[in-house]
Amino acid sequence: MSLADVIFTALGQIRSNKLRSFFTLLGIIVSVTFLVAVLAIIQGLNAYVKENIADAMIGANSFQVRRTPLNVARFVDEEVERMGRRPLISRGDAEAVRQAFPDAEAVSLQSGWPTPSADVTWRNRTVGDVLLFGVTAPHQIVQDYRLEQGRALSDVDITQRRPVAVLGPDLAEKLFETVDPIGQEVRIRGDLFEVIGVNATKGRVLGQSFDGYVLMPLTRFEMMFGRRATTTVSIKMRTAEEVATAIARAEEAMRMARGLRPGEPNNFALETSDALVDFWKTLTQLLFAIVPAIVSIGIVVGGIVIMNIMLMSVSERTHEIGIRKALGARAKDIENQFLAEAIALAFMGGFLGVAVGWLMAAAVAAASPLPTRVTWWSVAIALSLGAGVGIIFGVYPARRAARLDPIAAMRAE
Amino acid sequence: MSDQFGSGNPLTTTGEHNMSNTAERKAVVQEPGATPDKSWVIVTRGLKREYDMGGEIVRALRGVDLAIRRNEYVAIMGPSGSGKSTLMNLVGCLDTPTAGEYWLNGMLVSTMTDDQLARVRNKEIGFVFQTFNLLPRATALHNVELPLVYAGIGSDERKRKAKQALEKVQLEHRMTHKPNELSGGQRQRVAIARALVNDPSILLADEPTGNLDSQTSTEIMKVFEDLATSGQTVIMVTHEADIAAHARRVVVLRDGIIASDDRRSAFKEQMGLV
Ligand SMILES: Nc1ncnc2c1ncn2[C@@H]1O[C@H](COP(=O)(O)OP(=O)(O)OP(=O)(O)O)[C@@H](O)[C@H]1O
Ligand SMILES: [Mg+2]
Repeated sequence: MSLADVIFTALGQIRSNKLRSFFTLLGIIVSVTFLVAVLAIIQGLNAYVKENIADAMIGANSFQVRRTPLNVARFVDEEVERMGRRPLISRGDAEAVRQAFPDAEAVSLQSGWPTPSADVTWRNRTVGDVLLFGVTAPHQIVQDYRLEQGRALSDVDITQRRPVAVLGPDLAEKLFETVDPIGQEVRIRGDLFEVIGVNATKGRVLGQSFDGYVLMPLTRFEMMFGRRATTTVSIKMRTAEEVATAIARAEEAMRMARGLRPGEPNNFALETSDALVDFWKTLTQLLFAIVPAIVSIGIVVGGIVIMNIMLMSVSERTHEIGIRKALGARAKDIENQFLAEAIALAFMGGFLGVAVGWLMAAAVAAASPLPTRVTWWSVAIALSLGAGVGIIFGVYPARRAARLDPIAAMRAE
Repeated sequence: MSDQFGSGNPLTTTGEHNMSNTAERKAVVQEPGATPDKSWVIVTRGLKREYDMGGEIVRALRGVDLAIRRNEYVAIMGPSGSGKSTLMNLVGCLDTPTAGEYWLNGMLVSTMTDDQLARVRNKEIGFVFQTFNLLPRATALHNVELPLVYAGIGSDERKRKAKQALEKVQLEHRMTHKPNELSGGQRQRVAIARALVNDPSILLADEPTGNLDSQTSTEIMKVFEDLATSGQTVIMVTHEADIAAHARRVVVLRDGIIASDDRRSAFKEQMGLV
């Protein structure tokens, strides 16, 4: 019996039992859909974190010179303790880096995480828990902020510690509604600040607005909160490709500024947005491990369903098997026929699952800001799992069919 | 039925010829292990088939010596439970004997493996059953194609041969019908076409008219009659004397052994039974 005939016969059987075939496949379809869709969503989350969160926090094409690394979870306790004795990032450090980077688009110094928050009051109106950032003038460029109204912070604002503020658009909207905010005075922790500008919106990230903030001169910020250990230098290059070599140059400049001898370890950290993405990925890695495990269970259950249905099919078709054997089908022909049927079923399940998972991922992409991505390897896993299940769970029923005695089988009705 | 022997059936053998035939048969079945010469399609020597029914042994065949030449038309008769179907299944390679030899076309079939038997069934044997045994969901054409599928013949060639076989039984206008869209007689014609499609060396039929009314039975018997006349070796189990009358030779089984193997005594026996 030729392979084409084997496949044709198997597909004919599946077609003549459409509804049953579909229910047989449900377990596999659901499992594979889940696998493909969830992995696509995680993939989408990763891309989203990279493009929106990490870049929003560190700035696109940018890297930071910090006192301690972003992802402290990677280090052992003693190392973290040693980091605690590092010198703070100073205005001098920022200046040294700035001089080493005449080609950078911007070099800024700004307060780091955790960002303090406070109530902001205008006349009798108060907005609570507004994030306060102390920044230097180039911060506006590093963060790609565009002004909607007024002007940005200037170098003079910084050096003269002026009590001025640039507001995020959400905050300006809530405080002033229809009133022109420029020139108004707002009260923050007892001090009055003149509003000199309002930035354009950056939109929402995962339903979280990044538009409710106050930017003030870093010098002014330090009058309120003192010099903080988390102050950070940000360097923004013109292209992403320049970042890697720029990091090496920044390291050099910092070591010189700090007077470190060769062999002495860095007493500062250099980070790109990749570090944040890394941090996120350590969180999602667990998901990547768990999802296929859950799916495997689903697929094994799906396989057992297929085996059950195939066994049922063998006993229903005993008469047919008897006839085929009487006409010259060898045991192998019968085995192949049933095996082909099980594999075709499982493969179809995998294929339908991929299709539905793909649709779900596309639906999530359309309905949410997540750029879900169906990865080729999740499709490969799904389809090979499907075919594998067909083989593993198809062999037993197929062998049983093949072993039937032709006379006894023909007598069955 | 005025003429038990069937007037339309020319007697091809004289009494004398019969005698010499009988002697030759006796000779060929009494040489255990010897390969019979090519003129014998079937030779069985001491063929036994026993069923173990939980300790109790049922002896369905107790030593059958049977020799059949090419182009013979043989009827097998005997009371219910005498072992007719058991013998047909062995001759049709659907079953293997407990003891004894079975030679088909000079091949020792009784020691073959299951796969070899499947091949012999496919190439050498056409089997027609009382209950038709067609695949219910397949068309007449596909049913007839099946043996060719297992012979590994390509689709076009298969269709051509299957159509030819259906034409032989005058069913070319019912090729796309499924069995439940056909009458009993038509179903049995499909089964006959299927049995013939591989040009088998023997055509076996186990009570092929058992499920048909007398009118249709006559038609189906005519088909076998014509096949036999055209040179096809036919072995048929039947209960009915007037059907057996079409055959040139009648073998009567009783309690798992051959009670008689010639027309005249077979009919005497049959008459005695009635
Ligand atoms: N699979 C089996 N298991 C046990 N005994 C069997 C089996 N097949 C047949 N027999 C027994 O073997 C004997 C011969 O049966 P067989 O079917 O050959 O008879 P038959 O001559 O064809 O009868 P009928 O005319 O009723 O069809 C019977 O006693 C029957 O009970
Ligand atoms: Mg019988």
